[in-house]
Parts: sequence; C-alpha cells; structure tokens
Amino acid sequence: MPKIRTWLRRRLRALLHSGAIDRELDDEIRLHVDLEAAELMEREGLSAAEARRRAMIALGGAARMREEHRDVRGVRWLEHRGQDIRYAVRGLRNRPGFTLAVVLTLALGIGANAAMFSIVDRLLFRAPPLMRDPAMVHRVVLSTSYRGVEGHNTYIPYARFVDVTRNTHSFSRTALFTENELAVGVGTDAREMQVGAVTSGFFGFFNARPILGRYFTAAEDSPPIGAAVVVLSYGFWESQYGARPDVIGRHIQVGATLYTVIGVAPRGFAGVWPETPPVAYIPASARAGEQRYGGKGDPWWTTYHWTWAQSMVERKPGVTIAQANADLSQAYLHSYQAEVAASPGEQPVAIARPHASVASILSDRGPNESSLAKVATWIGGVALIVWLIACANVANLLLARALQRRREIAVRLALGVTRSRLAAQLLTESTILALLGGLSGVLIAQWGGAVLRAEFLSKTSTASVMTDPRTLIYAGAAALVAGLLTGLAPLLQTRRMNLNSDLKAGAREGGYQRSGLRAGLLILQGTLSVVLLVGAGLFVRSLRHVKAVPLGFEPEHVVMVETNMRGVPLDSARSQALVEQLQAAVAAVPGVTNATRQLTMPFWSTWSLGLTVAGIDSVDKLGQFNLDAVSPTYFATMGTRIMQGRGIEARDAAGAPGAMVVSQAMAKKLWPGASPIGQCVRIDSDTLPCTYVVGVAENIKADHLGDDPGLFYYLSAAQFHPNQGGLFVRVQGDPDRMKEPVRKALQRLMPGASYITVTPIGDIIGEQTQPWQLGASMFVIFGALALILAAIGLYGVIAFTVSQRLHELGVRVALGASGRDIVRHVVTGGLRLAVVGVGCGVVLALVLGHWVAPLLFEESARDPAVFGVVAAVLLAVAALASYIPARRAAQVNPIRALRAE
Amino acid sequence: MPQRTDLLQGTLDLLVLKTLLLGPLHGWAISKRLRALSSDVLDVGQGSLYPALYRLEDDEWIRSEWGTSPEGRRARIYTITALGRKQLAVERSAWRRFSAAVDQVLHAT
Repeated sequence: MPKIRTWLRRRLRALLHSGAIDRELDDEIRLHVDLEAAELMEREGLSAAEARRRAMIALGGAARMREEHRDVRGVRWLEHRGQDIRYAVRGLRNRPGFTLAVVLTLALGIGANAAMFSIVDRLLFRAPPLMRDPAMVHRVVLSTSYRGVEGHNTYIPYARFVDVTRNTHSFSRTALFTENELAVGVGTDAREMQVGAVTSGFFGFFNARPILGRYFTAAEDSPPIGAAVVVLSYGFWESQYGARPDVIGRHIQVGATLYTVIGVAPRGFAGVWPETPPVAYIPASARAGEQRYGGKGDPWWTTYHWTWAQSMVERKPGVTIAQANADLSQAYLHSYQAEVAASPGEQPVAIARPHASVASILSDRGPNESSLAKVATWIGGVALIVWLIACANVANLLLARALQRRREIAVRLALGVTRSRLAAQLLTESTILALLGGLSGVLIAQWGGAVLRAEFLSKTSTASVMTDPRTLIYAGAAALVAGLLTGLAPLLQTRRMNLNSDLKAGAREGGYQRSGLRAGLLILQGTLSVVLLVGAGLFVRSLRHVKAVPLGFEPEHVVMVETNMRGVPLDSARSQALVEQLQAAVAAVPGVTNATRQLTMPFWSTWSLGLTVAGIDSVDKLGQFNLDAVSPTYFATMGTRIMQGRGIEARDAAGAPGAMVVSQAMAKKLWPGASPIGQCVRIDSDTLPCTYVVGVAENIKADHLGDDPGLFYYLSAAQFHPNQGGLFVRVQGDPDRMKEPVRKALQRLMPGASYITVTPIGDIIGEQTQPWQLGASMFVIFGALALILAAIGLYGVIAFTVSQRLHELGVRVALGASGRDIVRHVVTGGLRLAVVGVGCGVVLALVLGHWVAPLLFEESARDPAVFGVVAAVLLAVAALASYIPARRAAQVNPIRALRAE
Repeated sequence: MPQRTDLLQGTLDLLVLKTLLLGPLHGWAISKRLRALSSDVLDVGQGSLYPALYRLEDDEWIRSEWGTSPEGRRARIYTITALGRKQLAVERSAWRRFSAAVDQVLHAT
C-alpha cells in the first residue's frame, strides 16, 4: 500500500512539476559536462571548446536523454491522458451549444436519478445506523390464514415474543420494539414526540455504547410494569439539556409517567427508525404497563390478544435464513397451540396454518410495506428510464458530432494516431461531458430533490444529497456509466471507418449516411417516453377518480380536537363536564363557526357494537356497522346531509328515548323497501331498550376510499358515552392557521399534565390520497421530462440529417421537387421513427400495466383513452420536431446547396 | 585510449549501486569512479546514467539530495539505501550466475 502511494505521489510530482524536474536535470548535466571538460583539458590538453564538445558527445544527445529520462519517469501515460483532456476540453469549448445541450440533458437524467435514489435508498436499502450486523438482523413475520386468505403480521403480542424467544435456538438476540408519539414534558412545554419503547435486549443489536450513563437492564424491563427509567437520544440531550453531563438522575414526564434519566445514547443512534428518530427510549414493559390493557382475563404479558409491538432477531453465525424460518415456525406453532388451548374460540391450527419467517429490518421492504414505498420504487424505475432516455439522446448527439468530424478523424488516423488512442480521446470527451452532467445533476437533485424528499420521507428527516456519500457515489456512477455508454456509439462508428473513402470524400458524402444505430436510439426514446406518459396518464386519471370520490362530508375547513389525559384521574361526571366546557369554549373562539362532539374519526378510528334488529337473524353477518356519537351541530359542522327525517337534536338528551341516524346504505341493508324511520335497534345487547331511527344521512366513507360499504350510524353524544370523545370544529379560512388559537383557548381548561391536540381532518384524509397524488405528480414531471428530451433528440437528429443532406435536397429541388414535397419527405422520415417508437411503447406499457394496476384507483391499466392521447401527443410532438428543420430544408436555394462543398 | 565497451542491458544498475556502496557521489563522480574501477573499460554515458539514477531512486534503492560537490559546486548527491544494499546482493548473485554460465558456454569445446 505505501509503495503504491509513493509511486502515485512521484508520478503526480513528475507530471505536475515536470518543468522543475527538467531544470534540475539540466543543472546536473551542466555540472557533468563542466567537470568532464575540465578533466579532458587537464588530461589530454584539449582547448576549452574542444573539451566541451567531446564531453557533450560522451554524454549523448541532451534532448534524447531528456526524452529517455521522461519516459523513465513514467509520465507518458499521464501526459497522454492530460493531452486527451486538454484536447477534449478545447473541442467542447469550441462548440458551447452542443456542450450545453449534452450537459443539460445528462444533468436532468442524473439529477432525477440521484434525487430518487436518495429516497429509495433510505426506504429500502440503508441499514439503520450503527447496527452491528444488519445482514443478520431481521423483523419477525407471523403468518396465518383466515378464510383461506393468508395474512402477515409483524405486530405481535408480548406473550408471543416471550414464547418465540424461549423456544428458538437460532438467534443470538431478540428484542421487542415499538415507536409511539407521546407527550414529552409538562404544561405548555409538553410536545408530542417520537418515543421508542423497547425491551432491554434492543441496544445489543447496535454498536452504540451510551455516551453517558447506561441502558436499562432486563431486571428494569419486566412485567407487570417496567422501571420508570429513560435513555435520551443525543439530539434531545443536546437541544433540551444543553448536553449537560448532570442530566443523569433528572426526571422527565413521558406520556402519563414521570421517568428518571439513566443514560444518553450516542450521536447518530436512532434505533430502527432513522427517518423518525425517537427523542428517548423507555422500557417496553413500562410502556405496556402504563397503558392498563383492559382485555378480558389475562394481563398484558400473557394475553395473545393485544398486538402492540414488532420483534427483531439476530441470527447466530452460520444459521441460514431457511433454518431460522423453520426454527421460528415451530416455535410459533407451539405458541399458537398454547393460545388455542387457552381460548378455544381461536381458529384451529389446521385452518390457520400458522408459520413464521424473517424479513428485512426495513419495514418498507415488506411485508405490509407502505404504498408510499411502492410508489417510490416505481418512481425510482421511472427516473432510471429518464436516465436511459437522456443517455440515448446524448449518444445520438455525440454520434452526429462524430459523423461531422469524420474527415478530421480520418486525417488523424492517416497521420498515425492509433485507434486505441483515438478511442481513448472519444471516451475522454464523453466522460468529461458525463461528469459535468453529473455535477450539475447533483445540484439539480439537491434543490429539486428537496421537494421529493419532503413528500416521501418524514418531515424531520434531514436527508440531503450533497452530504450523503451513498447518493454522491450513485450519482458519480450514473455519470460514469453514462459517459461510457454514450461514448460507445461514436466508437462503434470509428471502427467501421474506411480511411480511403473518408479521406477522399468531402464533408458532404462523408456525412450523410443512414444510421441504424441513430434510428434505434430514437425509437428507444420514443418507446420509453410512451411508457412514462402512459404511466402519467393512468395516475392522473386515478387521482381525478380519488378526488371525485364523494366522502359524504367536507373535510376542508374542519379540525379535530382530541384530549390526552396523561393519567390525570377524572371521574365520569367531571370528564363529561370537561368535554362540555371545551365545546362551549371553542364556540367562542373567533373564526369558529360550529363545533360538535365526536367519538370516532373517519380513516382514523372506528367503533362498532353488536346490533339486534327484529326480523334479522344475525345483523353482524351483513357487515360491520360503525358508529359515532355526536351533538346536534354535527351535521352542520361536517356538511353531511340529512336525506330523510331529522338529525340528532337537543331533545335527544340523557333520559330521553334513544335516537339514532343511519346512513342510506345501512337503511337499505337492514330495512330494504321499508321506511327506516321509527325502527327499533338494540345496540350492544338484545336486552337493552330500543334505540329508534329518527333520520337517514347520506353515506360517508369511513374506512376505504374505494368500495366502502358505508354502513354507519350516529347516536346522541348526550346518550352514548357522554364522558368520552373529542370535538370536530368548523373554522373559517385556513384550518392550519386556526390550529393554534383553538389549542390555546382549550388548553387553559385542561387539568394537570393533560393536554389538547388539534389536527385539520383534511390532513388525515390527505394521507389517504397521498400515494395517488404523488404518483400523479411524479409521473407527470418525469413523463414531461422524457417527452421534452425525446423531442429534443428527434429535432436534433432530423436537423442534423437535413443539414448533411442539403446537397441531395438541392438536387431534388433542382429536379422539380416543390417545397411541400421536401417538407413531406423529411417529416415522413421523422414520423416513421415515431410510429415505430409509439408501437413498441404501447406494447411495453401494456405489459408493464399488469404490475402497476394495483396502484391505480378505479382505473384500468389499459385505459384506451390514456393510450390514445399519449400516442397522439407523441406523434404530434414528433411531427413538430421534424417540421421545423424540414421547413428550413424546403427553403434551400438549390444553386447554393449544389455549389457548396 | 583504451577500448571501451558498451554496457550490457541491466548491468548498469548493478554497477551504480556497487559504486555508491563506497560512499555518496554525484552523477559525474559516479561515471568517473566507474571508469576508474574498470580501468577505463566501462564507460557509462550515452545518456543512460541519469535516467538510470532516476529509476533507481524511484525504486527507492538510492536517495538523492542537493548538496555541494568536492569541486565546490551545487550538485545532486546520491546515496545508497538499505533497500539498495539488499538489491545489490540480489543482482550480484544473479550476475555471478550469468557470467559463470556465459564463461561455461565460451569454454565449451
């Protein structure tokens, strides 16, 4: 190694200080000649001049020696590369338009790629920071079949984790982990932050010694409730405690419990949540114990019915994934059998077919990956296609340039430049272009990519392209490969060169040749553009369908108010009083038009109970009926229309007969053909008194944007759990601007450490439509990019061909062709390529559609409208791109064209 | 003037290293010493000495620094390194084998 370094240093010195070395050598030679001459004078009595001459002869020709000396220095190779670079730079500087076009094209392609790579890498490839051996660490996936459909779960009960840890032998460590958003701090400082709840073994997966204090032990993390100790993250310690070492032993409120700080994790440690780094880590058993799991019978550490955390394992050295899966499966089978034995209501083993496997520690690698990750992967592929198009474009431009320089190259070959040297020069040129493109691409990725990252990664993520070595390496590789690929095309051309004919030919005949390669590249661009544009079309239509879905309520100006009691004990009368106070107080806030109580929020939480209706055997079999308990102002606040009868009113007070409003779908399901008004429904138990239907509301979407059955009913908040729930508040103007005034007005009423959160419900609905929103905007951006690049490519090639064919076109005009004939001739040539490209693209898009279909919303992947529009757009653009140079060709003056050489 | 012989390829390194074994020298002194040691038979020159010196230095068998020659002039003085001594031993035994082999061929009857 040091040998290589010295060698490189010397070579570099030899190259950079070539002048200095030559001067030193001259000094040495002068000394040599002087001394030799002096000796000759003395020994043989020669005259000074003669002695000097003889000394020079003896030494050998100075110039030759210097060359030889240099050769020995081994700088030849480097000098050649230096010459190539200077030659290429000179050539590129002489043609700024060409250079700019190539660099911009590559910059767009590489920039799009680098930006997407930085996202896809984080979602799918990058191991959590500081993890000891990411290749051996996995999440555990438990799979069971239900009604013949296999489902995969990564969230498991604590008891299952204990069983699996105890009954497997393939793993050197196991841990249970979950991340919750909990209120940290008290009073007005309290803010909801990410907190990791992990078992004591969690930290062993990482090379992360605490920078201060210690992590919690197994003894501090055991049922029934773990010790109230907390390990802070480095960032939180720095920002909240000014990195003071005396933080150990201090107390901090997390959720409902006061914790004691026992340690600080090192910088960069983020558990398995690099995109949403927790501010603190608490024992899993402390978190579980605090939540007072209220299931029937078993406490939280033995029940199989409370799934609240994920588990991870590290394989022992030498254990294969297959062995690990088999080991896990037998442990899960035992555990499942124990569960069935304890609660006979469970599905038997033969039907559930429980089995387990290990999966990537990265949750977006699946199973159950977010649709965001799927979309990101697709967009990553799309970016790659844009890169390919950019490469094809640049290859075509370089090819055209090589053709123009045909004669120059032939001359150089004739003068004795070796072909390998020529190849090196061409590659140097394309590599320089690619690196310039890469550099500009990184800039594009940095500025333009910020938008992408905000869409895909969490808001707290500090991802930056410039400072991320993996992304920079990727961008560099993309640039180099682009350089080699695009340099290849002109290289192939020089191999086919015929010196004799090229030298004899003028620029004219030498230039114009039909090139299969160029046509192929253009067709490739057309094909890929069609694929991207079809994708764009499908996603745009999906988004329009998603947006057009009638929700049954108007989320735009409504915020949701939730209370978080953090263990502040309130009896039911006082909590009811609190909710009522909150509702009254919020109505008085300026800008608030309406407020209603609520128990559930569509797409956020559901509540369902067993129903009994006269004349129907089992209402449950008809589907799941979700409920909300609301104030009389609910329908006005949410904008849900009453279709029949009345809404909930003030008279539906406590003690009055039970009242309910049902959705149209529910009315149709339960009382087809009959009027639902006045019908009796017994809720929760068939021995309870009737709740009477007083009205019918329009259907709402509560669970799926797609085919939601819409079985929903509303009770009176005064009659159903009057001490629970939060509020929906309709505000004027931007709900984001109203969040803070509403929160401030209500927080004053909250007792103790309890607090208020305010969320615009548009945000919650927005999460539902986000994948399509993203898919549509990304495909449109990249599709447009592809179309522009393809159009530039076609235009460039046609324009070049026309300029090379001026002579031939001149002959045609001279022989009587009209301007229109010429235009038709040229445009037809361009269109012919476009038609082939569109054909190939349509076929490819149809094939790929199979995989993209699950991401679409009520949209066929073979929507003929989309395909038709895309084909038309592409052909129109191709026609335009050929028409502009064609018109120029038609204005050719035949005399000048024929005279010009 | 005695008959001079061109150097065999590869022997120059050996000779330069051997010469420097006797003490640090500058370029001209090396060629002079070589001539003296070989009784004026071997003559480096022909432009090969200085490239050879550079190469040897590149291989870290010799070291050079600018100093003052015995004649009182600024000169680059070459010194043999430990690595160079080792290399000299290697080349010397190689040369012995080679010359013995050549001798053997020439004496064959």
